[in-house]
Amino acid sequence: MKKKVLTTLLCVSLAATLLAGCGGKSDTPASADTAPATEDAAPATEDAAPATDASVATGGDYKFEIIVKSYQSSYWQAAVTGVNQKAEELGVTVNCTGPNAESDIADQVNMLNNAINNQPNGIGLAACDQEACLDSLQTAMDKGIPVVCFDSGIPSAPEGSVYATIATDNYAAGATAAENLYPALKDKIASATAPVRIGEVNQEATSESITSRGLGFIDKIIELAKADGKAVAVIGNEYYVNNCSEKGDEASADIIIEVAVPAQTTVELCATEASVILNKADTIGMFGSNQVAAEGILTANENLDVLGTDPATSILAAGFDAGSVIKGAITSGKMFGAVTQSPLAMGQTTVEVLTKIANGESVSDVPTQGYWYDSTNMKDASIAPNLYD
Amino acid sequence: MGEVILTMKEIDKFFPGVHALDHVSFEVRKGEVHALMGENGAGKSTLMKVLTGIYKKDSGTIIYEGKEVEFHNTREAQSAGVVIVHQELNMLGHLTVAQNIFIGREFKKGIAIDDKKMNEEAKKLFDRLHIDIDPTETMSNLTVGKQQMCEIAKAISHDAKVIVFDEPSAALTETEIEELFKIIRDLRKQQMGIVYISHRMDEIKVITDRVTVMRDGTYVGTLITEECTKDDIINMMVGRVIYEDPKQKSMVAKDAPVVLKVEHLNAGRMVQDVSFELHKGEILGFSGLMGAGRTETARAIFGADPKESGDIYINGEKVTINSPEDAVKCGIGYLSEDRKRYGIVVQKTVAENSTMATLEKYVKGLFIDKKAEREVSQEYVDSLDTKTPSINQLVVNLSGGNQQKVVIAKWLVRNCDILIFDEPTRGIDVGAKNEIYKLMNKLAEDGKSIIMISSEMTEILRMSDRIVVMCEGKKTGEIGIEEASQEAIMNMATREIS
Amino acid sequence: MSKNSVPNTQNKSVISRLGGQKFIVLLVVVGLIIFFSAVSPDFRKYSTAMSILDYSYYIALMAIGVTFPLITGGVDLSIGTGLICYSLTGGFLIVQKGWPVWAGMLMALLLSIVIGLLNGVLVSIMNLPPFLATLCTCMITRGLGSIFSNRLGISWPTSGTPGSWFRNIFKITVNGTKIPLGFLWVLLLVAVMAFVLNHTKIGRYTIAIGSNKEATILSGINVKFYHIMAYVISGLFAGLAAIAYSAVFSTVQPGTGAGFELEAIGGAIIGGVSASGGVGSVGGSLIGVFVICLLKTGLPYIGLQANWQQIITGLVLIGAVLVDIMKKKKEKI
Repeated sequence: MKKKVLTTLLCVSLAATLLAGCGGKSDTPASADTAPATEDAAPATEDAAPATDASVATGGDYKFEIIVKSYQSSYWQAAVTGVNQKAEELGVTVNCTGPNAESDIADQVNMLNNAINNQPNGIGLAACDQEACLDSLQTAMDKGIPVVCFDSGIPSAPEGSVYATIATDNYAAGATAAENLYPALKDKIASATAPVRIGEVNQEATSESITSRGLGFIDKIIELAKADGKAVAVIGNEYYVNNCSEKGDEASADIIIEVAVPAQTTVELCATEASVILNKADTIGMFGSNQVAAEGILTANENLDVLGTDPATSILAAGFDAGSVIKGAITSGKMFGAVTQSPLAMGQTTVEVLTKIANGESVSDVPTQGYWYDSTNMKDASIAPNLYD
Repeated sequence: MGEVILTMKEIDKFFPGVHALDHVSFEVRKGEVHALMGENGAGKSTLMKVLTGIYKKDSGTIIYEGKEVEFHNTREAQSAGVVIVHQELNMLGHLTVAQNIFIGREFKKGIAIDDKKMNEEAKKLFDRLHIDIDPTETMSNLTVGKQQMCEIAKAISHDAKVIVFDEPSAALTETEIEELFKIIRDLRKQQMGIVYISHRMDEIKVITDRVTVMRDGTYVGTLITEECTKDDIINMMVGRVIYEDPKQKSMVAKDAPVVLKVEHLNAGRMVQDVSFELHKGEILGFSGLMGAGRTETARAIFGADPKESGDIYINGEKVTINSPEDAVKCGIGYLSEDRKRYGIVVQKTVAENSTMATLEKYVKGLFIDKKAEREVSQEYVDSLDTKTPSINQLVVNLSGGNQQKVVIAKWLVRNCDILIFDEPTRGIDVGAKNEIYKLMNKLAEDGKSIIMISSEMTEILRMSDRIVVMCEGKKTGEIGIEEASQEAIMNMATREIS
Repeated sequence: MSKNSVPNTQNKSVISRLGGQKFIVLLVVVGLIIFFSAVSPDFRKYSTAMSILDYSYYIALMAIGVTFPLITGGVDLSIGTGLICYSLTGGFLIVQKGWPVWAGMLMALLLSIVIGLLNGVLVSIMNLPPFLATLCTCMITRGLGSIFSNRLGISWPTSGTPGSWFRNIFKITVNGTKIPLGFLWVLLLVAVMAFVLNHTKIGRYTIAIGSNKEATILSGINVKFYHIMAYVISGLFAGLAAIAYSAVFSTVQPGTGAGFELEAIGGAIIGGVSASGGVGSVGGSLIGVFVICLLKTGLPYIGLQANWQQIITGLVLIGAVLVDIMKKKKEKI
């Protein structure tokens, strides 16, 4: 009888796990949504290309182990390229590994343990799971091997095991989109006789990375508009309305920021939400805070045809992340521009920070920036490598 | 009776641990109705399954139309002209009559199924059988009797030469049985060989030409029906004498108190203004044709179906019964006609089934008190003489009669004083039937009160102290056993209601 | 007694002669359109109608297919993640390996048939409960999709680039007006599959299995084969849905797709497929899907906060299942 109960329990829990596995939301791998905002939420002040930092002494024969989340995506390939570039530049040896998929958490822990056993001078880790690596990190610390996290931090890591975290400052990246979109809309706002509307589509209102980007965009628009003497109101999804710097009053506002969040993180629901805003006559700008949201706006436009690059005749849309669809839309003038993260710089900075640690220098967290790109600078050498498919 | 069309010789079949058929021989002639009788487990079904290829025989020969054959599945048997009409389970309720009849060998027009032609062919079949059924009707809309006709039509449509009827009358009303017999006589005239499996002795006498009796997997003998009596057959089946005489007078004391009183009960079309009383120690028979509303009345009293109006008094006190739970609290137990669906959980043990309605009594803290459960179920296994190797036996492995006893035990454990038996002996063989009867009589003697719903006239007349007759949802009569006769009851059961 | 068996075409109500639940659901669809149009002027636009149609194709196609396993009394939970898997595979071959678009499509369809076959074998031959079997293939396709695409989001050729002709299968622009060609294909496939369900052996035996599997076996029918076929059809239509999805949307993200199947199954059940098998129609499933699609699109248009949408869709589903149960009760009486 006991056996039966056990079996039943087992079956139920198995089914539950399967369900959870099947029904769970998944992150877009390329957008690295799991990256938590760095503690320092201020706009990045550091040089966008820290490679030029002259304070790093050349590295001697240091050996570093770099573990990425998944070895084969182009986002991570860009990161690995950055790692190798910097390694060559500094004359250090790096060994890059990573599991097949971001969900292969156990594989990655094994790789981390192997890396520790190789006794390197340091380890660069983009952890697939915030919890799974904790034991290994303790071991690394016990053996005196410094670890640097990149792309995603590990907030609960054993004190002192992680020397620095290098991740995108999502709040600043969101602000970057506003900084580039607002000037293009400025004239239209100035000449408007009635309030104008800027829409923002966020895939959801729960993950740190997406909400940071969304709020970064809203707060920067508010800041810039205030400087021009315009009043701003934020309406729509409650989370964003309540957490932005100032929600304002819709009745008296010159600019209304309308924030939409779909019920599920699917493209067509993002598109439907975008359609609702794009359909309004007073809408002049749109922002989609990750690849799915940005593509949702583009999908909505398939039937509406209201997007373009001329503020006088069309709505200007800003996106986030790269991918062939967004790149294509920017090239063809459907999308005004987008912010991309910088896996390349992240990879470079990781090696650089590891070298500094090996040299005995003290290091701190490095927030990496998002880069604005549009049809004019897509081919630039500093941008192009970050535009993964 | 014509020449022999089918001969089964020295058929042997083993199942793990059981010698299911022990050198059984059997033959069917053209134009005869040959009854195959025996208690449940005697091997009738197994023999027929060997014939139609569902089981593979271990040894022996089957000669059909002069040639030795061995069918590997029902389909092969069908195309050779040997078909079984199963009790009722072969219906595809969501398909139409014609679609059912021609399932597996549809007429086609290109890749499409030619439903029009199938409907026409079905119509022709029905005409041949002189039955009036619309081939385009959805099967689940038909009465059980009509469904049975469709099964027969399906069998005949295979150009059958040998048709096996497996308890065809189990779910039929008297009129429907009459119609069935008409068809069978028709088929006999057309020189088909018919095997008729049934438990109903009176039917055997009416419709069959010869009777072959089996017992415990062996062949006992073959008789010419005309030349034997019921008792002869029963003796061959069980090896002991069973009397099926009607009860002569009521066993209930004149001053026995009323334990259950139902007044003006209404519940849908099938229960209209039903009132009756049940005395302590009484067996109250509920007679009527299939669909008269007897089961519906019982279910309404038991709280299984909603009531529209009416009052129920237990021992003179008015009670509210809105669910079976309420009914059980009032001491009413209901033994459904469909044991497997409502009465027992076949994949559970005898012990578990026995305490199912009383589980709260056998719970200690969070756990079931297995010891107490074993004790009480053993007690009832003994007192009811349930034939089971152990109380840990799964109920599915028991015979129908013993399953019924487990259900009875379940309600006795619950201390129910009023027991509603709905078709208590359906699907139970003659020997076990007798035991159930004895048990019911004993329960009544012990002061339990019983409502017995039965479609078998002999059962009603044999068991009841008093009889309530229903027809089309209304109570049409009530008669004491002293005055009761088949004719009187049938008269009330078929009364036209204006 | 014989009175009961009078052919009861006469006492069928007007509604049941018009198609029963199908008719009621169609009224619901019309009611929703009227309601949303009345509340939101933007909903009345042609572009909105186009969007609703665009976003309905893949759900509609999945619903057509899943109607078959549902009628057998089973279910296919793998169609959602399957869709993404097939789309990723096809897209990967086209974009990364340079295959022609038609070949990529063909591979997607082939893979969908293979997964359908796997489901069928698990359910029919290995006797796994359909819920569990397809839950497992749901996991498998989710993983496979990621592997085939190297965990990359894949975009089939976008409009204006070479190879984007397949997008015109579902939508063409004539004189500046967009024509929802995909809807035509959906209607055509509904007609074809309605024919398959009602007038071919595959359909007849699908109903038979859902009605009484034991009896179907006893009728000498190769039940295993036809049971498998129901899942193959479901798989194939998930493959067709994958093509529709790839054509309407841009990037297909690995790891997504879970939840699509619920909308398709929900639509089928709203459209009158019985949760216990044996009953259902392809046309009904299509109409049911539109209830879901209209809610999905319409509720944001009337300014309802996102999560309410799912609550309302859930309530509508409960309503549909209750209607199903009540119908059964009525049949019993």
